[in-house]
Amino acid sequence: MAKASWIYWIGALALMVLVLPFAGLLVSTPWLRMHFQPGDVEAISVSVLYTLLALSIVVVFGTPLAWWLARCQFHGKVLIDALTLLPLLAPPLAMGLLLSMVFGPYGWLGEPLRRLGLELTNTPQAFVLAQVYGAAPYYIVTARAAFEGVPRELEQMALTLGRGPWQSFWRVTFPLAGLGLASGLALAWVRAMGEFGIVLIVAYFPQGIPVKLWTNLQDSGLDAVYPLLWLFFIVALPLPLALGLLSRRQPVY
Amino acid sequence: MHVHYRLHQPLPLDARLQLDGFTVLHGVSGSGKTSLLRAIAGLLPGQGEPWGGWPVQHRPVGYLPQGCALFPHLRVWQNVAFALDGSRRQRRSRAMQLLDELGLAWLAERWPGQISGGQLQRVALARALARQPQLLLLDEPTSALDPVTRGDVIDELLIGIRRSGVPALVASHDLQLATVADSVALLADGRVIQQGSPAEVFRRPMNVAAAQLLGISNIHSATVVGRHGALVELDCGGLRLHAYAPADLGWHSEVRVAIAAEAIAVEPVRKGVPLTLVHRRREGLCQRLWLRSAAGVTMQALLPPLADNDWQLGDMLQLSVPSAHVHLFACNARGAMPSAGRGSTQTTAAGIPSSA
Repeated sequence: MAKASWIYWIGALALMVLVLPFAGLLVSTPWLRMHFQPGDVEAISVSVLYTLLALSIVVVFGTPLAWWLARCQFHGKVLIDALTLLPLLAPPLAMGLLLSMVFGPYGWLGEPLRRLGLELTNTPQAFVLAQVYGAAPYYIVTARAAFEGVPRELEQMALTLGRGPWQSFWRVTFPLAGLGLASGLALAWVRAMGEFGIVLIVAYFPQGIPVKLWTNLQDSGLDAVYPLLWLFFIVALPLPLALGLLSRRQPVY
Repeated sequence: MHVHYRLHQPLPLDARLQLDGFTVLHGVSGSGKTSLLRAIAGLLPGQGEPWGGWPVQHRPVGYLPQGCALFPHLRVWQNVAFALDGSRRQRRSRAMQLLDELGLAWLAERWPGQISGGQLQRVALARALARQPQLLLLDEPTSALDPVTRGDVIDELLIGIRRSGVPALVASHDLQLATVADSVALLADGRVIQQGSPAEVFRRPMNVAAAQLLGISNIHSATVVGRHGALVELDCGGLRLHAYAPADLGWHSEVRVAIAAEAIAVEPVRKGVPLTLVHRRREGLCQRLWLRSAAGVTMQALLPPLADNDWQLGDMLQLSVPSAHVHLFACNARGAMPSAGRGSTQTTAAGIPSSA
């Protein structure tokens, strides 16, 4: 033990560096002079509401895709794998530019959609679209790994015990992949809440917390960001933190 | 119940079986035992009867894969109740009843990770029985068992299966399990080469492949050199052996003989053909000897427990084999005698004893 003590010292140092900014926030917050800027409260409701909406879309469409990627083997699967990784690997700003090329007012898909009444620039729909693109890859990659972790044999056992594919999924696959899906959801929540690069380009309005923080900083300086920053952490962190801790805990079985 | 299944993937297989009671499907690893079971359960594509083309969930089979595959997120009783419908209370009471019949009710609240290998197997049996299958399929039930408790575990599993009254097809390369079965089917080269009661099959393997599967270690070529009634005299590398043979087996016929090591008695050479002791090995209380004839034929003999001798390597010994233990096979491709002697079971081409 004594011999390896330097490992603990390095570990402690790393932990300190990680926690330092949060400690800094505690120290430098001007607790008495702190007050909201106009539009801060709206930004919170925009962020929470649309993140929930974006996550629902991600879960509804991303879960079947993740399952398909985990379970099906075919020629050229590597190509599909690469395609699902593309939005994950693209820098957010670049992703935003790509989206505005496609969905923007003069984009090849944006223009016909606009004529159909679906405007995808600076609208709530655009905001959700940006969040979906920001969060979906993280959810899909995590959920896929979760499904791959479920032994196929157990799903087959459920079938031999007279349960159809749908029931087998809900009674075996889903509970066994549950923790993995939850951490995927937590990751997607954080990504969607904090999405800045894509949102900035595609949906400057309505302003969610990240863009509002940025405009506060630009317009009024550092002091103007504290209240919203605190609320951001309070709103964004409990869900992923709880899910993260839950998936850390060893299950009984 | 008659079973006939054909498979192309992962290996070509065309197997016919008659299932009554506890049938052991015996074959070497990779011979397709597991594939056949999975095809019958519908987990591998295959054509055949019964239930050919049915979706997995509609086939009335109870499948126990190797390792049992209990659901780790469900307690023991919930595993058993998995196939049951109805209210939670009904499912629980039926599951408890099934567990109780197998003497497992006290494990109901445990997680699968907390019980022993033998218990896992009986829980898996209870789970399979819950859906009232018409056929049980067990894949290598003895492979993961602790050798000390293995016998007891097999007994308990057998009792459970027999009490359920559901026929069971058990894939195994464990010969000990084959000896306690109601019926043994030997699988080789993608088909069932012989099926019958253990007594029949062990007494009269149909061909060389069957003899090999039954663990008979001495398989050699021989020539017919004489006949005394139902018996023929054989020359096997200088050794003289006697065996029962069909009447149409003529002089100078080339045949194959198979003799179990246990059937060979060894004594100091007197007037028999002398063999040299070339190798010996202790096997628990028994002793295995390798004896070589002047013509280079090596015979393995397994001496009974505690048989005492002070033979040294290089000693000259002679052996004797009761005629009933010398199995005779033709040298043709199938290796089967046209009508294997002594009025024993007649077998059909597929190796199933005909009821006629």
